[in-house]
Amino acid sequence: MAKILVVDDDEPIRLIYQAYLTKDGHTVETAADGMQALEKIASFHPDLVMLDINMPKMSGFEVAKRMKENPETKDIPIFIMTSLKQELNIKKAYDLGIDEYITKPTSVEHLKLRVNKFLKKKGCGC
Amino acid sequence: MFLTHLTSSPHFYAILYAVICLLAAFNIFEVLFLFAHQYRLKRREAAKEELKHMISTAIITVTEPAAVLPKPGGAMEYEAYSETAASIIESFEGELAERAARLVQEFRISLHYQSLAKNSVWYKRAHAIDILSSLKLKDNRDFFNAAFSSEASNPVKYRILYGLSLLVRDRLDILDLAGKLAALPYLTAKFTEDVFFNCITVLKAAGKEEEFGLFLEQIRSEEGIPVKVKRDCLSACHAAACERAEPAVKEYYKAFQAEPEIIVACIKTLVTAGDFSILPEALRHKDWRVRLTALKHVHLFRSDISPDHNTLLHDPEYHFAALPEILRHKDWRTRLEDLKHAHLGNSEILRALQPLLHDHNYHIRLNAAQALAKMGPRGLEMLREEMTSPDKFAAETARYALNGGWTTQ
Repeated sequence: MAKILVVDDDEPIRLIYQAYLTKDGHTVETAADGMQALEKIASFHPDLVMLDINMPKMSGFEVAKRMKENPETKDIPIFIMTSLKQELNIKKAYDLGIDEYITKPTSVEHLKLRVNKFLKKKGCGC
Repeated sequence: MFLTHLTSSPHFYAILYAVICLLAAFNIFEVLFLFAHQYRLKRREAAKEELKHMISTAIITVTEPAAVLPKPGGAMEYEAYSETAASIIESFEGELAERAARLVQEFRISLHYQSLAKNSVWYKRAHAIDILSSLKLKDNRDFFNAAFSSEASNPVKYRILYGLSLLVRDRLDILDLAGKLAALPYLTAKFTEDVFFNCITVLKAAGKEEEFGLFLEQIRSEEGIPVKVKRDCLSACHAAACERAEPAVKEYYKAFQAEPEIIVACIKTLVTAGDFSILPEALRHKDWRVRLTALKHVHLFRSDISPDHNTLLHDPEYHFAALPEILRHKDWRTRLEDLKHAHLGNSEILRALQPLLHDHNYHIRLNAAQALAKMGPRGLEMLREEMTSPDKFAAETARYALNGGWTTQ
């Protein structure tokens, strides 16, 4: 099972992701903003980071950029989870090297399927 | 006179002492009050977060969360319920969103904010409307329409329209929305675009994307809808990638040749949808903004129209007449954007590029060198000359370009 870091400034959203992904056997940690996310990435070493874009202190784009610049974190897959649907944002995210761009609203079941399928492909044995 | 009387009084120092004591007491009281207020706010926030946590947990674990949660009583409780429900409705669909919506209905959260939306203070009404919008409940559509009719404040009306844009069902709803929007003073292109972007997103989610195309057709010759609003509708199509509206957008392209901003929005939308057929014609447009927009997409050209395109690119009268002017634009972003196409230009462009190697902005220097490197022997010669420049940044940029720093865009 994989270690997943959920980064979202909205507590209900963090709780929901955590509850459903833990039910699938993953170890889930959460962070409420970009700065906290970078600290957690360094200490938790996640297999996957699920990242919101609009957050206080540091945006999801900036977190993704810093992760990709750091040789230790550049290979950690990133899922962007956002309600920003503009083509411009989607392009910007993929240009940064993220792996999936999932627009909200989405169903929890669909999200779990995508996460598990992705992790399986990456060889996490999920 | 009064001061003389006061200072000569035998009680002067006693009075002075009393005043100082009073001021000190007032200051201490003020500081204590601020601390107490801060403490109260923190406790309120903590209680709200705790309640939000409880609501979220109930929504995750129980089919009927209203059965296990306390009914909201005060403002803080209503805030916690509405914020949690809005977050879940915005982020999830299916069972979770349905549970959150049911909770809002059973605890009459909407009704609470509907009554607050009738407050006599405009910003309180606006706040209540914002919360109602975030809940995205279909039942609020009639309330929004009624509130719009009776509302006197324009800032509140704009918020109502934003709320309505999240609840549209078909082209008739959008038509009504556009009519209401046209009756108000134009706010900003961003706001209008966002309103129509919401409409497209909602229709797409409902599998009715083509309704937006039908709406566009319907307002094309509608004089009551300002051209600016029509342009923003087209920009929203581009931002939301509304491909089903493509035939309608093409009609706009034909009908609004005298409106460059509409044509620019049409080009962006059509190119995003994969339709490049308008580009050769757009490259000949009399307005430089249209030609430039078309040029920005020439790399997407199909090979069957490239001979035409190549001829046009080397015709200074048509396409590059405006470029030297733009390259001297005061905004560095404009200079940067147009530099990306400058390598396609003629000798006039070449002369305009050289000063940009000394631009204070790094990106401009970089792109100017990149353009020169692509402009053949004369461009390369200019870069070689620059290598001996006393401006070390320009010299380094030129050296980097000549060493093949950028071979492709």
